[in-house]
Amino acid sequence: MAMHWFTYCLDEAVRSLWRQRGSVAFSVLTIAAALLVLGGFLLVSVNLDRAVSKWSAAAEFSVYLRDDISQDQRVSLNTLLAGHPVVASREYVSKADAAQRFKRDFPDLAAGLGDLPQNPLPASIEVRLHPRRADAAAVEAFARELQQAPGVADVRFDRRWLERLAGIATGLRWAGWMLGGVLIAAAVLTVATVVRLALHARRDEVDIMQLMGAPISLLRGPLVFEGLLQGGLGALVALAVLYPVSLIVRQQFAAALGPALDLALVGFLPPGVSVLLVLGGMAVGCAGGFVAARHVR
Amino acid sequence: MIETSHVSKVYGRGIYALRDVSVVIEKGEFVFLTGPSGAGKSTLLRLLLRQETPSEGSVTVAGRDLARLSLRQAQTYRRTLGFVFQDFKLIPSKTVLDNVGLVPRVLGATSVQQQRRTFQVLKWLGLQHRMNAYPLELSGGEQQRVAIARALVNEPSLILADEPTGNLDPDLSLEIMNLFRDINARGTTVLVATHDRELMRHVGRRTLTLDHGRLVDT
Repeated sequence: MAMHWFTYCLDEAVRSLWRQRGSVAFSVLTIAAALLVLGGFLLVSVNLDRAVSKWSAAAEFSVYLRDDISQDQRVSLNTLLAGHPVVASREYVSKADAAQRFKRDFPDLAAGLGDLPQNPLPASIEVRLHPRRADAAAVEAFARELQQAPGVADVRFDRRWLERLAGIATGLRWAGWMLGGVLIAAAVLTVATVVRLALHARRDEVDIMQLMGAPISLLRGPLVFEGLLQGGLGALVALAVLYPVSLIVRQQFAAALGPALDLALVGFLPPGVSVLLVLGGMAVGCAGGFVAARHVR
Repeated sequence: MIETSHVSKVYGRGIYALRDVSVVIEKGEFVFLTGPSGAGKSTLLRLLLRQETPSEGSVTVAGRDLARLSLRQAQTYRRTLGFVFQDFKLIPSKTVLDNVGLVPRVLGATSVQQQRRTFQVLKWLGLQHRMNAYPLELSGGEQQRVAIARALVNEPSLILADEPTGNLDPDLSLEIMNLFRDINARGTTVLVATHDRELMRHVGRRTLTLDHGRLVDT
């Protein structure tokens, strides 16, 4: 019986969609527009999250040492770093190593550095942070502690901008949900209107079926399925538009920012999110269909 | 089979469509329901179809008090009925086969059962060669025969017909009425609302006459 119900509802819904394909196309495009906005915001925030996550994993302190640091101070600093939970690993960079890096990274200025009577670059310890344990508060406190440690000239911590970026990603996601939510509400109403038009077109059929003693699920089912199919189609259209747009935007970024941006980080929505978007579209359509189906009693 | 007991139906501000109607129709009977326009014929049929409930009194069909049926029970009850209307009420976008096959389909019959039963009924009514036609491609008489096929396909115990010959010429009307007589001969109870006295005289069955909502002749 459930199989019969399913095939009947699907069959009737497909026929009805085909019969009024003009208004259905309008409804599908409305859903697609709503999901395109939501999907666009999700795409940007997902990529920002990816970047933040990757850059967070690579985040590090640079602890610059005073030239006159004593052996005892060096040992106690190493002990402090070795025992702290946010520290994943550390690497000592001597004054000579720092000079070598400078010459490699800035070859035009390398000659100037060689002309100086002595190497002005300080030795440092590069501290790589543990991505899971290094929350903002713990890292801030540790940075302050290191700043006060004897033998330390300065602590450079490059994490704050990452947190700002993460905040922007969260903000974008919320903006997407809010704007998408409004558009989705409009899409639900559009689907409901289109399905009600279909119901009016099939009014005689529904009346006859009621006289035959058709169960209410068989009268309402095709209407809900109509909405569901419209929603699914709308979501697929949104994804079909979003994918090439994301490729074009990526190419534009490549031209504008070049090597400064790691393009390997930029990608399309993860498969799970894409599937959720389609299911979400179907849920939106289903809601619209259900609103219309309530008129069948 | 059918028993109405002191049935009244009031619409709006005290307008009686039916007033104190009590009648019994036995199983297997063929009964005409007649009277002038506005006499209450269609109202009585709507009560029997359980599209409405009486304002007073009770309507019992095959032991069921229709006013007491839940929505689900009303659906089950309607599956035991066949109905035929003056305007045929066929679905224009479906073929003859699909219009008639809709009933077993809606009631959950398998595809093979649907086709077998639908074809049997269409063949009995001489419509097998019109199976793939659409209603608007058929004559009035053919359309009404399709409507009768749809009413019969579920093997109902009671057929209700509201002015089934109202849109047909006299020859076709007689043909349709003979069909109802054949259906009745197979044991199905038939109640036909009509104001065609010639037809009633020709068929010669019991007649219930309504006038201004009252039963004036049984």
